[in-house]
Amino acid sequence: MSPEVLIGMLAELERIRELTLNLIERETPRLLPAPPDEACGTERTVFDLLLGARRAVLGNPAAARGVHDLLVAEGHRYANTPDGARLRDALVASEAVENLRRVWETVSLNVLDGPAAPNAAPDAWADLLADAVMGHGLDDSILARLRPEGFA
Amino acid sequence: MTLTDPREALADQSNFIGYLVGLAGLGRVVHTLADGDRRSDPPPESDDFVHVLLGVASLGEGIERLANSTVAQPDPSVEAPPPASTTMRWLR
Repeated sequence: MSPEVLIGMLAELERIRELTLNLIERETPRLLPAPPDEACGTERTVFDLLLGARRAVLGNPAAARGVHDLLVAEGHRYANTPDGARLRDALVASEAVENLRRVWETVSLNVLDGPAAPNAAPDAWADLLADAVMGHGLDDSILARLRPEGFA
Repeated sequence: MTLTDPREALADQSNFIGYLVGLAGLGRVVHTLADGDRRSDPPPESDDFVHVLLGVASLGEGIERLANSTVAQPDPSVEAPPPASTTMRWLR
């Protein structure tokens, strides 16, 4: 196969991946919530930004995990310098960081944490999607009561 | 246009500087977060989330150092300025 054909295949696979992600989002409304009523201006912009971040992570788990791991490694390196250690201590004690952590965990659904094979999607990503899809199809009122609110 | 037939004008449309500015801005946001109110409860150990923020701050500082080093180039006290081609490359 010529390089041109291989690149064409890659482009087609990318298109299929995007369509599959759209389908998953449509079938699991909890992953793609409707915008808040009467949201406009800054609030709507923030909502779209957060949803975009979620889609970027859920739609590209291996790449997102790769970026995450690179930043964590750079953070560890920086924390070994005097400036980095001071910044680390200030970040750990900051209330704003704690708030940002809650925002990030809500948006990413923690799919980037935990074990992951090299250059592969994290296990938590597959677990989340399986839970979201199976939980949606199960529609069991008893199990639904046992599931904490907001838990996919 | 193909990879073997690049167009020079594309360099003018590159968002590369925009990426760098964005990363430097995120680095400053991390410092702003660190300067905010203190937690009332005892802070936990630093985890991956904090190290991601540190990584962003480190990248931002690296980019700002890069920008400062290029600003210093036109200093008249420097006797041997870099070749014109290097300056053009940074400008682009």
